[in-house]
Amino acid sequence: MSRELAAYRNLKDISREEFILPGTSVCGGCGGMEALRLAAKVLGDRVVYVNAAGCFTLLAVFPYTPFRGSWLYTTMGSAPAGAQGVRDALDVLIARGKVRPEDDVQVVVVAGDGATYDMALSSTSGAIWRNLDFWYFCYDNESYGNTGAQASSATPYGARTPTTLGAERRKDLFEIWRAHRPAYLATVSPRYPVDLSRKFEKAKRFKGPKLFLAAAPCPTGWEFDPAKTLDYGRLQVETGLFPLKEAVGDGPVVHTYAPAKRRPVEEYLRGQGRFRHLFEPVKQAALIARIQEDVDRYWARVEA
Amino acid sequence: MKQMLTGNTAAAWGARLADVDYIPAFPITPQTEIIETLAQWAAAGEIPARFVTLDSEHSMLTAGGAAAAAGARVFTATSSQGLLYGFELLYTVAGWRVPFVLVNVSRGLASPITLEPDHNDVLAARDSGCLQIHAETCQEVFDSILMAYRIAEDPRVLLPVIVNLDGFSLSFTREPVELPAVAAASIYLGEYAPGHAWIRGERPMAQGVAVLGGAVYSYFRYQMQLAAENALTVHEEAAAAFETMFGRRYGLVDGYRLDDAELVLVMSNSFATKGRAAVDLARSEGVRLGLLRLRLLRPFPREAIRRALAGRRAVAVIDQNLSIGLGGITVGEVAHALYAERDRPPLLSYVGGLGGKEISDQEFRRIVSDLMLAAATGETPPPRLLFTAAEARQMQTLLSIAGKEGAG
Amino acid sequence: MIRVRFHGRGGQGMKTASRIVGTAALLDGFIAQDSPVYGAERRGAPMVASVRIAEAPIFERGVIPAPDLVVVADDTLLDDPAVQPLAGLPPTGGLLMATAHSEEEARRHTGHPGALVARDFLTLALEQVGSAAGVSAALASAACAMLGLSGPAVVAAIGTELEAIGLSPDSIRANLRLAESARAGIQRVELPVRSLAAPRAGSPVVDVAYAPPEVGTPSVTARPNTPLRRTGNWRVFRPVIDPAKCTQCWVCFVRCPEGAIELDAEENPHLDYEVCKGCLICVEECPTGAIAKVREMREWAPSEVTR
Repeated sequence: MSRELAAYRNLKDISREEFILPGTSVCGGCGGMEALRLAAKVLGDRVVYVNAAGCFTLLAVFPYTPFRGSWLYTTMGSAPAGAQGVRDALDVLIARGKVRPEDDVQVVVVAGDGATYDMALSSTSGAIWRNLDFWYFCYDNESYGNTGAQASSATPYGARTPTTLGAERRKDLFEIWRAHRPAYLATVSPRYPVDLSRKFEKAKRFKGPKLFLAAAPCPTGWEFDPAKTLDYGRLQVETGLFPLKEAVGDGPVVHTYAPAKRRPVEEYLRGQGRFRHLFEPVKQAALIARIQEDVDRYWARVEA
Repeated sequence: MKQMLTGNTAAAWGARLADVDYIPAFPITPQTEIIETLAQWAAAGEIPARFVTLDSEHSMLTAGGAAAAAGARVFTATSSQGLLYGFELLYTVAGWRVPFVLVNVSRGLASPITLEPDHNDVLAARDSGCLQIHAETCQEVFDSILMAYRIAEDPRVLLPVIVNLDGFSLSFTREPVELPAVAAASIYLGEYAPGHAWIRGERPMAQGVAVLGGAVYSYFRYQMQLAAENALTVHEEAAAAFETMFGRRYGLVDGYRLDDAELVLVMSNSFATKGRAAVDLARSEGVRLGLLRLRLLRPFPREAIRRALAGRRAVAVIDQNLSIGLGGITVGEVAHALYAERDRPPLLSYVGGLGGKEISDQEFRRIVSDLMLAAATGETPPPRLLFTAAEARQMQTLLSIAGKEGAG
Repeated sequence: MIRVRFHGRGGQGMKTASRIVGTAALLDGFIAQDSPVYGAERRGAPMVASVRIAEAPIFERGVIPAPDLVVVADDTLLDDPAVQPLAGLPPTGGLLMATAHSEEEARRHTGHPGALVARDFLTLALEQVGSAAGVSAALASAACAMLGLSGPAVVAAIGTELEAIGLSPDSIRANLRLAESARAGIQRVELPVRSLAAPRAGSPVVDVAYAPPEVGTPSVTARPNTPLRRTGNWRVFRPVIDPAKCTQCWVCFVRCPEGAIELDAEENPHLDYEVCKGCLICVEECPTGAIAKVREMREWAPSEVTR
């Protein structure tokens, strides 16, 4: 089945309502913003976004907010603990009759990969371990984007950043999260809105941690034309570099979209400024091959 | 009816009778007994609060602040390294202008790591926007927690309050403590129903938003300063109501035999009790010594301190803390309070009781003789560490055992 | 001292342009100071950079309130009340701008009586280096010409600054050629030299009173209001939908990260130009090619811009 065609057939199922309004400070063509916007269409307005320091901290800059729901900026390292405090407070205040049940909200952590993979890892681990009933939306632009796209532990092998090259391989956050056996976890891409929407919709069934790792192609940090954001979003998935998958509790990992024929990684790498040194002044064939082998090995395991 | 309670248990009772909604926790010596007590009460259903152990003090203070931002009454406790580990949140949450009460059980900071009290931990937080009440007795720990909620939640204030007690000399020390009836405590505090901070489905709000531009930032930060200044008035109202209901009265500062005192010791926290003994001893020898105990450290009650110290013949501040490169911390603040006073006394500076080190009668005697000399000559001796010959000898022995060349 | 203020958008390279001018001034033996100011935004949003050039120590910092020369990278900034690029520019000062309008139109629109250079540096950049980012070197070069900085200093400064941001030698050479043509025919402008630190306008010091917490705390209780920020002024190109080619497929609506496209009852998409940042994802993604990329050309009203 061509899942992509199926997705296009269902594109019109996506809500026409906007829950995050335009006019924010984020860069034009932000892939993470598109993913969050699509997620918000499923989550609705009964939410509080609990934010960690990063690009999206600048969504709400006094005196403006784009949200039809609520917002609480915390710190870079402890947004999941903020979610814990809000969830616990609402639970106890509702139980004590101090807040009406209809005033309850879903608690959604919004954090970049810099916070998620690194500084907030212990706080996230704690929240999942406590089986906190919350959502986690990580926009993964594979760098410390807000400070100028320096290397984070999500930076892929071969990428050049203002500080260092990406290390041997980026952390496998999906598996780190999965080791905690959360109620639900998934990867999503803004270029695959139906897959994304289905996963957020599906996660509503589960009480407990609902964790989303969202691909966030970043024209500013990855150095490409903002118009191409979703082209790179597509190539990220079609090369197999960013697999779309999910897992429920201790169940198996299910790939929700497997490209019938994976595109060569070179198509994805070429054109991004952060990989320019792989092609100029001379092509680094061995490095590119190594990236390709990593992907192939991953999918060989999946298909085995 | 009075009962024997440790400072830690008195703190737990403060949270219990304040009818808190939420207790985020993380263990650290010498605070742990507080959260153990509260955890047991919560598990037994004796208190309605939700008790949650977080993964660090940083997370604990985030959860506490976030719960307060959602409208819950929050209690939490920490100590020393824990306070520093969560330090970022003191500034962050105070900036949200949400009230909660944090008990800090003072303990000297690493390195070298140690267990017994001094006040570098809590004083490190003095610029954070959290108000600070420092308690001398277990009774005062309990009373201050009730008062702290009333002050913190007042719409003229809305800042978190840290109630400080010393590790060991209060935390694990039992004293008679009188606890009020649940109903009386409830009347004293009322309900926390904030009109400025909430997280509700029907009424969305963006909290903790970023600001850009120094003018906007200055405005909001200075609102915190004005709120803290308001807390001086609010404290006095809270103290008056407390006295009416419970019969005990707390001032912005606390004095002992100050009325006719010519020489004054300035101290804080539980070691002030030793200061009282030193006053009695000096008085028995005909020296008109008195004690001023700093209780409210933030907001700093400059005027109350000025009134208490103006016109004395000499004043000695014993700082149980050390700002490396400066010396004692509170002596500078006391000097600030006195600076505009025409009739200001010589101000002597001592650093003592670091890491819970004893301050003996000998050391107090030295201070009194320094005070008398300063009063007579008008000259102020240089700042001094309180350290005795016996302690120096003991140190030599330990250094030799540790294999330090040249020791002994 | 001569003060130069640059106005551009994040990504147009005005920080680099200001650094080229600063370095060129240093190489010509002056004391120089250059500094950018950006807000929260990066790419697309208005930004300001300042360069001060003097023969004596500079006792000023920060944004220049009263510039001697204003450089505008993008004429759509002129009418933006939040930017006001001409604010503080005296009639005797100089104005350099990248615009597709003619110099006469620019003079009429800005009402600036002093030295004025208005050229289509963007087209020049696109032609010669194939990238809008070339505006940076082009404007820096033209500004140096207006300031009378020496040719060798400008060439060296462009080389230094473009290398610092990681441009390849080929690209630097192309930028140098662009810089050469950008300054062709531009004369040195005699700018009045003011030696004292510029007065910093302000207003009297007032007391700040305690505000009740509903007011005096940093939260936002308004309904979502970011559309008031009118990020439409970030655009250099605008997407224009051709209703005749539109098949009501929803792709542009779904793929717009901003949510700046609305569907009407017949599922026709409508762009909100007040907020569209001009990322052009919709142009790229439209399966029928119904959305065109059009160079942003604000209609200049007959009246002069606010100063």
